[in-house]
Parts: sequence; structure tokens; C-alpha cells
Amino acid sequence: MGEVTALNPVLRVAQALQEPKVVTEKRDAAWKLYESLEVPRLEKTDLRRVTWDVGEFEATGAEVPEDVASYVQGIEHSCALVVDGVVREIRLSDEAQAKGVVLVSIHDACTTHAEVWNRHFGAIVPADDSKWAALNMALFAGGVFVHVPRGAELEHPIEVVYVWTGRPFSACSRSLVVTEPLARLRYAETTFAKGGERFVNSHVLEVFASQASSIQVATADEWRKGGMHFVTRRAKTENDAEVDWVVADTSDGQAVELVESELAGQGSRSFTRVMGLGHGRAHVEITASMRHVGRHTESEISMHGALRDRANVIFRSRTQIEKGAVGAGSEQHDRMIMVDGTARADAIPMLLIDENDVERCGHAASVGKIDPLQVYYLMSRGIPQSTAVQMIIWGYLRDTVEALPSDAMRQIVVSRVERELAR
Amino acid sequence: MSKPDFVIRNLHVQVEGKEILKGVDLHIRGGEIHAIMGPNGTGKSTLASAIMGHPHYEVTEGEIWLDGQNVLEMSVDERARAGLFLAMQYPAEVPGVSNANFIRTALNARRGEGNEIPVLQFHRRLVQKMKELSIDPSFAERYLNEGFSGGEKKRNEILQMAMLEPRIAILDEIDSGLDIDALKIVANGVNQLRSDNIGFLIITHYQRLLNYIVPDVVHVMMQGRIVKSGDAKLAEELEAKGYDWLKQELGIEDETVEVEA
Ligand SMILES: Nc1ncnc2c1ncn2[C@@H]1O[C@H](COP(=O)(O)OP(=O)(O)O)[C@@H](O)[C@H]1O
Ligand SMILES: [Mg+2]
Repeated sequence: MGEVTALNPVLRVAQALQEPKVVTEKRDAAWKLYESLEVPRLEKTDLRRVTWDVGEFEATGAEVPEDVASYVQGIEHSCALVVDGVVREIRLSDEAQAKGVVLVSIHDACTTHAEVWNRHFGAIVPADDSKWAALNMALFAGGVFVHVPRGAELEHPIEVVYVWTGRPFSACSRSLVVTEPLARLRYAETTFAKGGERFVNSHVLEVFASQASSIQVATADEWRKGGMHFVTRRAKTENDAEVDWVVADTSDGQAVELVESELAGQGSRSFTRVMGLGHGRAHVEITASMRHVGRHTESEISMHGALRDRANVIFRSRTQIEKGAVGAGSEQHDRMIMVDGTARADAIPMLLIDENDVERCGHAASVGKIDPLQVYYLMSRGIPQSTAVQMIIWGYLRDTVEALPSDAMRQIVVSRVERELAR
Repeated sequence: MSKPDFVIRNLHVQVEGKEILKGVDLHIRGGEIHAIMGPNGTGKSTLASAIMGHPHYEVTEGEIWLDGQNVLEMSVDERARAGLFLAMQYPAEVPGVSNANFIRTALNARRGEGNEIPVLQFHRRLVQKMKELSIDPSFAERYLNEGFSGGEKKRNEILQMAMLEPRIAILDEIDSGLDIDALKIVANGVNQLRSDNIGFLIITHYQRLLNYIVPDVVHVMMQGRIVKSGDAKLAEELEAKGYDWLKQELGIEDETVEVEA
């Protein structure tokens, strides 16, 4: 048995991070769960053929890729840099420091901020959420803990840059964001997932919005081809809290992503907007999900996708209204445009309503080609066809891009989109 | 620059396999204003769309020439860059593309690479033209035609025309849905552009607009053909006596494009 333990991936991570025993126990339990769970059958993504190889974690830092280094250098607000599961840099702005905001590594937080950490870590995305949530809990390495005290309103965002350089082990980053009552925060995650080795990656973000606090969570992801990326981002709201998601995805790899708000508190709200540009041979499945539990909760999901090449992108908007969520209201709009005829798009709206007394429940979904009459109109003013198409697609994605919280983030998404549209 | 010279010969156009235009001839030179009048459903918009190269309209016979260039061999954007402009009856809405960005991109496409208009100069001109057309400055950053009222769309078409300075401008029912004040503003926009460097084709089924923009030639369209041409007086006559008078004179029973059963 001793030899087996020496090769145990959990031990490798735990030893490298030198963390308290309680955390390693959580990992062990999660690993057992991970191994016992069957590979789930997803309707739109065949997981039987994907790799579940986790490799061997190494905490010795990889080189920070040049594009990432210059991106991080340009960030003026509070930020953290996580490379291959290792927190490399944390910068807290004067504003955030003055307001008592905490930004530390998720590993340090379990001792330095044990009380809040214990209350929420693993409570929003528990290990038994899915096979990949179990994997993340077992092997999580790299990520931050953000805590905003009562009433603190942050003007500038906090951004975490996650980098996977494609080294031969699973990336299982994990962060936890907690706002106390009446606090305001914009939290952002920008990912650089380089292509390369085939490993299974699982990223988790847990967000807890206490009473009447408000959080915008913005993400700019680019899962490049190579690994299999699972992403679970979930927020939970107390009474009158608001969580708004802004998701910009420009992947060409394989990813299964969940963006979810659990509207637990009465009168809480969530608005999710997703912009996806699939290209190459991307197989990306994004589920934006709202679970209404509290009374008079409100949600809206708006997903816009544009697809190039042989990309296969699935947008699912899922609204669940639990029994007791009296007076809940929700809207969904999904729209996908296939720029190239070789792409495949699925827009799947789902409404699961267990409460009779609901306010409104609208949904609209469409998949189509770019409108030829819009192209004609722009061309009739002298604009060449390729430019016209770019302008229209761009116009259709831009609201989400403009909602991103910083110039740096907007610019990186703009450059990712333009790179793919200009071809 | 020489005066624009625009010639249409024996134009036949089909929509969805149905022949709508059955031989149209026109000759418009710089400095001239031609009006095409006619009841609804007689093929006026079809003519405008076919000239611009709308994808639903297929030219089956005939020729279109602008300044000696064969228009039918050009793509839609090439036609525009050659100097054709169509103010559309139902312009498309394009969310996410601002009016100003659209017009600037169009103008620069027309001027060509290396000859782009400086941004400040562009905005000065845009603001000026918008003022002349009584368009609220906020419309520069509004998304193209999205949520515009009928009248706002019409004025926006005229704004684009004023900014792009075409050689041949076709205005399709630019007067429909406009109140008298808006009509005067639009007419004034057209009259300001009037010069030897531009020729106009104004499509309308009321004479009202022609009180403010006096045409040199008036054509009447019925059954997909020009059935009568004259000077400005013809429009007045039509206003006074109605189209029925002309139908009787020409022995036409149904003026619309016949559809074979
Ligand atoms: N896109 C189209 N699809 C089908 N029929 C059309 C289309 N455009 C025009 N038509 C037909 O062509 C005829 C002339 O229409 P149009 O040119 O719009 O007339 P006008 O502008 O004079 O009112 C009508 O019978 C109309 O139904
Ligand atoms: Mg018409």
C-alpha cells in the first residue's frame, strides 16, 4: 500500500502545498468520490472518449508566457496571477486595502481566514456536485480567496489571471469570493489556457453574496485545444443580493462550463450574459443556470454566440423555479449565428417550474445564419462584404464585451474576437 | 469631375421567378431630378432594389451603366463605391453597430485606403449634417436604425446620403410616413445637395414631396413599365385627376404587376 500512496495524486498536491491536515482529508474523501463516480452521460458532449488522465502535479513554477506577463503588467487594479496551480503574484490596490478587502491565496486563507473559509469553502460547489467537482476538490491548486467587508464598495475590479501552460498535469484551480452585507464588488477571471498536452482540467469558482451585497463576476476564457476543460462557477445569494455574470468565451478546445446562480435569498437577483465565439474544432457546452429558491427572486439569461469553422457550440439556458419561490420572474434569450456553414450550434432553453405562483417566465431561442438583408444594407453604402459581416457579428457580441469591468479585459477579448473574425 | 451619367436600358427583373419589371428605360444626368410615380405594387421598389443589387432581385434582361461602367457586373458594395446610393423604403436594423461608426466605415470604404477622413473632421461634418436634418446628436451613437421611428429612419437615410455624396441618388418613398415638417426637412436635405455632380431618382406615389423638390422629369410606372413621362406638370395633373384618369387614357385596367395564376 505504501507505494500506492506515494503515487497518490492527492498526496503530491498536498505535500507540495504543505497545507493543514483537515484540507488533505477533504482531498482524500473527494478523490475517493472522484474515482467511484461513473463518467456522466451528457446529452451533447460525449465524455467517454475524453481523457481523465491527471498527470503528476509539480509546484515548481513554469515560465510565465510573454503575452500573459505583459497583460498582467498592464493591469492597474487589484489582481492575482496563478500559473499552473501556483499563485505567483498578488497585488492589492490602495483602494482595496483601505477598505479592508482581503485578497490572498485560497491555500493561505484556510488558516488566515479560517472562519469565513470554513463556512463557505466547498459549500457552494461541493465535491459531490459532479465527477469533475470531486476532481477539483481532490487536487485543487492555485486560486484566491476574496473577502469584502460589510458595506465596502470597491470602485475598481479584482482580477485573477489563470494560466495553464500545458504542462503534463491537471489544472484544478479554485477560488472563493465572499461579500459581506451591503458590499459591492466586481470580480474578474481571465484565463489563458495554452494548448498542448491532453489532461483533464477542472476549474471551480464559488461566490457567496451576503444580504443586499452586489457582485459582478466577469470571465474572459479561452480554452485552447488539447485538454478537456470542466468549469463550474456558481454563486449563491442571500436576501436582496445581486450577482451579475458577464461571460466572454473564445475557445477552440473542449469545454463543459456551468455558470449558475442559486437565488436562495428573498428578493435576490441575477443577470447572466454570455458571449461566445467558437472557432476551430471547438466543442464547447455552456450552461447558464438560475435556480430560484427564495420568494420574489428575479433572473435573466442572455446568450449570444457566433460560430466559425467547424466549431460545435451548445448554449443551454436553464431556469429552475423551486416550489416556494413565489413571485419569481425570469427571462431567457439565446441567439446563435453560424458565420461559417461548417459550424454547428445548439440553443437549448430549459424551464423547470415547480411553483404555480410565478411572475413571468419568458424564453426565446434561435439559431441561424447572419441576416443577408443586414449585409446588403451595409454593402449598399460601400462597405465590402467581409467587413460588413465582421461589423454585424461584432455588433451582436459587443454588449457583453462592453460590460466587462476593465479596459485590459475588454481589449483582450476584442483582440481574441478580432483575430477570429478577421480571418 | 465629369457629370454623372446613368443609363438603364430595357431592364427586366424577376423576384422569386416572377417577372416584375418588363422593360424599363431611363437616362439620368448630373443636375437632373427624375421622379417616378405610380400606385402601389407597380414595381417602383423593384427597380430601386435591382439597381442597387439587392440579393432577392434577379435581372434577366437589359443593361445598367454608370459613367460608362457596367453596373450589373458589380457587387453591391462596388456599386456604392462607384457612386450609387439608395435611400431604402425599409432599411435594415443592425444592433450593436453605431450610426457614426457605420457612416465612417462607409465613407472610408468610398474614399479608399490611405485616404481615410480624419476622425475629428468626420465628426464635425456629421454633427453639422445632423443639425441640418434636425437629427438629435444622440443618434450618432445609437445603433443603426434600431428602435428608430419611421420618420427617424428616413432622415437617417438622408443623413447617409449627405455624408456619402453619391453621384446618383435613388430615394424610395422617402416621404411616406413623414409629417409636413419632416417632409420639408428631408426635401431641404435633398435640395442642398442638388448640383451638377449628382442626379436624383425620386420614387413616390404622392405628388406632395414634389412641391418641395421640383423634378425635371416625371415618369409614371404601371405594370412594371414606365407608361408615361413628362415634366413637373404631369405630377400636378396626377395629383388633380388621380391615377384612374391615366389608366383610362392608357387603357389599363389593373395597374399592378400581373401575377400569372
Ligand atoms: N421580395 C419580394 N418577394 C416577392 N414579391 C415581391 C418582392 N418584392 C416585390 N414583389 C412583388 O412585386 C410587385 C411590385 O412590388 P414593388 O416593386 O414593391 O412595388 P411598389 O414599390 O411600386 O409598390 C408586387 O406585386 C410585389 O408583391
Ligand atoms: Mg415601394
